[in-house]
Amino acid sequence: MSPARTKSNQPRIKAGASVTEHRLKNGLRVLIAERHLDPIVAVILWYGVGSRDEREHEAGASHFLEHMMFKGSESFGKGEVDRLTTLLGGTNNAFTTADHTAYWFEFTSDRWETALSIEADRMRGLLLDPVEFDAEKAVVLEELAMGEDDPWRSLTREVQLLLYPRHAYRRPVIGFADTLQQMDVATLRDYYHRYYRPDNATLVICGDVEPKKALKLVRDHFGSLPAGAVPQDGSKALGRLDLPAHEPRGERRVRMTWGDRAHRLCMAWPTVRVGSDDDFVLDIVSTVLTGGRMSRLYRGLVLGEALATSISAHNDTHVDPGGFWLYADTAQGVDPAELEAAIDREIERLADELVPAAELKRAKRILRASEAYENEAVSDLAEELGEFAIDARWELALDTIELVERVTARDVRDCVRRLLGKERRVVGWCEPREEPAQAKRSKAKRPRTRTKTARRGSKAARGRS
Amino acid sequence: MSPSPRTKGQARRRPARRPARAPAALPVVEVPVERFVLSSGATLLVSPRAGASVTAIQAHVRGGPSHDPLGKEGTAYLTGMLADQGTKSFSEEEINNVLEPAGGELSGDGSGLSGTIVGDQWKVLVDVMGEVLTTPKFPVAKVARQKERLLDRLLIERDDPRAQSGRMFRRLVYGDHWLGRPAYGTFESVERIEPRDLRAHHRKCWVGSRTVISVCGDVEPQAVRRRFERALRDWKSGSPLVPKTPTFPARTIRVNAFRADRQQVHLFLGHLGIRRNHPDYPALVVMDHVLGSGPGFTNRVSRHLRDELGLAYSVSANIHGSAGLLPGTFTAYIGTSPQHVETALQGFLKEIQTIQTEPVGEEELEVAKSYLVGSFPRGFERAARRAGFMISSELHGFPEGYLRGLQEAFLAVTPEDVMRAARENLHPEACCLAAGGPIKTTELKKALRAAL
Repeated sequence: MSPARTKSNQPRIKAGASVTEHRLKNGLRVLIAERHLDPIVAVILWYGVGSRDEREHEAGASHFLEHMMFKGSESFGKGEVDRLTTLLGGTNNAFTTADHTAYWFEFTSDRWETALSIEADRMRGLLLDPVEFDAEKAVVLEELAMGEDDPWRSLTREVQLLLYPRHAYRRPVIGFADTLQQMDVATLRDYYHRYYRPDNATLVICGDVEPKKALKLVRDHFGSLPAGAVPQDGSKALGRLDLPAHEPRGERRVRMTWGDRAHRLCMAWPTVRVGSDDDFVLDIVSTVLTGGRMSRLYRGLVLGEALATSISAHNDTHVDPGGFWLYADTAQGVDPAELEAAIDREIERLADELVPAAELKRAKRILRASEAYENEAVSDLAEELGEFAIDARWELALDTIELVERVTARDVRDCVRRLLGKERRVVGWCEPREEPAQAKRSKAKRPRTRTKTARRGSKAARGRS
Repeated sequence: MSPSPRTKGQARRRPARRPARAPAALPVVEVPVERFVLSSGATLLVSPRAGASVTAIQAHVRGGPSHDPLGKEGTAYLTGMLADQGTKSFSEEEINNVLEPAGGELSGDGSGLSGTIVGDQWKVLVDVMGEVLTTPKFPVAKVARQKERLLDRLLIERDDPRAQSGRMFRRLVYGDHWLGRPAYGTFESVERIEPRDLRAHHRKCWVGSRTVISVCGDVEPQAVRRRFERALRDWKSGSPLVPKTPTFPARTIRVNAFRADRQQVHLFLGHLGIRRNHPDYPALVVMDHVLGSGPGFTNRVSRHLRDELGLAYSVSANIHGSAGLLPGTFTAYIGTSPQHVETALQGFLKEIQTIQTEPVGEEELEVAKSYLVGSFPRGFERAARRAGFMISSELHGFPEGYLRGLQEAFLAVTPEDVMRAARENLHPEACCLAAGGPIKTTELKKALRAAL
């Protein structure tokens, strides 16, 4: 066992858990969150690599590699990760995003150490067997096909291409059929060695553990792993790409068709980095617009005017500037342009008028309450800590509520003015390819029921614009 | 360090730092429950959980969609959906204005209501649920609006191959029984439903004697009882549910396809399954784990169809998951490219045949049993999960110590039990097959014939 240099700090409290940070000599960061409500431990290992780090010909490599991490390492042959996890009554999974890749386990607290054995082994000893590589490529291509049968995913992909014209965020995390077809073992192996290393990883252990013992186990398993080598050519050790931000000049629009009767709308604006001041303002903006049934857009356009059957907004910040997304399903018989105009009016109202104090207070209370749901299970808490840690700094997970509380009505108005203008956005519509035979037989042009409430709502909304 | 590339055959094998066998200790899960019968006739189950940040409350109304009038399927579903959109004393807006800032959520469906709330706000949720259970008004405008939203969804689903083939499969299995009809109705049936149908359904079915309420959170049981007693004080007891004997179609091969221009075909293969009280239930849970529901690649269909053949990202097989008071289904599912349909069917049938004719290996059995008993605590972290378990326990009449008994029943399953249970409960020779995607019924029949 190599001695570990430990950066211990005073515990901080989050959702009933006592959180401490430590760092091993090889650069591995360790977060331990001690909470004893249930006899369960979640272990999530985060790597600071995602599709943003891929070069063009590597598109899809991060996600493909995530699949291969279950296909055999030096001490755990193919299928062993699942077999052992299952034998111990645990569960495992993994996910890849644009910014990071994460591997998680959950076990009862008398047997969680196995997660460390597995992760330490496959951090530096992945086999990447060519036979397994070929078999898994077929699975990834089927996953891609599955996604292409999903209209929302397809529409999001089209909008994404325009939202980040020169940034890797434009590519879908899963990659493209041609890059996946051409992917070979050597490319993936190179990618693996570039990014899967202790100094590019954060290990989060959360739940029914005793921190000192947990840290000792981490040292035992990971302490002897070498940090990654620094390239001879003087380039950045981890090879993370410097990617250009893009300031849009004018609205861009994309239209696609689908074989059903839906008119789906996806709007997106490029925004800010995770953890920046505007990140928390945008949380408020999304809550005011679509958080709960009494939010502006849901109450106005779904319950009131009946222009949409569903509507949601999502503040999706990233390591590099992310996006603010808005999705809506147009109600049948409604002119899609009418829905888009109604959404525009509400966003313009946010840019023109200060949010009333009561509404701002409601949004903050909803965000505070959501903390309880988001940390109910130890894996939820481990995920929140880890995601902030790998993309920004983990303390943000603890400070979020305070940062949200500081947001003023003026902050909201200014942020919407700066970031959510029409000239900065991409608008994507997915429309019916044709009237399907079955739908033609139905009352496709059903008259909408307009209630008194709806008419009032409609007028009020228009009046405000 | 940059290790040289290795292939499978060249891999160094260090002695594994891992257990060869499952740990001997059984993880214990306890869901302490206090049971009350309220003056309205409703059964109240309360499980205190100190330190829990969320309180979950569920109200299950027995019968649900089984009461949908013929031609008005979706009545129970809309009753649940609309119950919180206006009551005798509060408008929908007033209810939401109370719940949302307190971190509360409430939703309904054909089986009743389900809600959660954070911190120490559980009394707010009890009061709202009491109001919604007893005095929903089903305002005409709200009903019209909700119907339109549902009709929109049904219209779009008409072209969704996964949704349509899933519906087809249930129809093939259950025939005209209400389980064969979509719980939220059809385009035609929903159009026929009027506010008076919802009021009639509520009057008849949403009564104390048919309702089981469960509460899990950082609460004191007697305080919850007092609060619910007050909230439901004027509720009618009504008449208890009288179960009917169901009838289902005879077991034969039935095939149908929903043609749609997509990348993948969704295949549903299976037949009528078991009730929850079936004596083979523990053996079939173990069988499912080995055959098609064990995590990752520990189940055979994932190993064979996904990992070895690369046919799919999503594949599974399961009989116990849908077992309830009425029979569920045995369902093998895969989403795959059209050229793989016959291979996928062959793969499913081969694995079913194997588990019916060959004893499960010792290690495979140990992995399955060890998982089933060892994973218990992980299923009970969330308050809503505990509240749901309490409802199931009441409906099925699980005895005290049920969870420990189930763990022991899993441990007692032998390879012969699995083989016999598979032989007696899986019937691939008389299966239903539904598909959605770029395939015709004639092609599907041909593929099944070839696979059989």
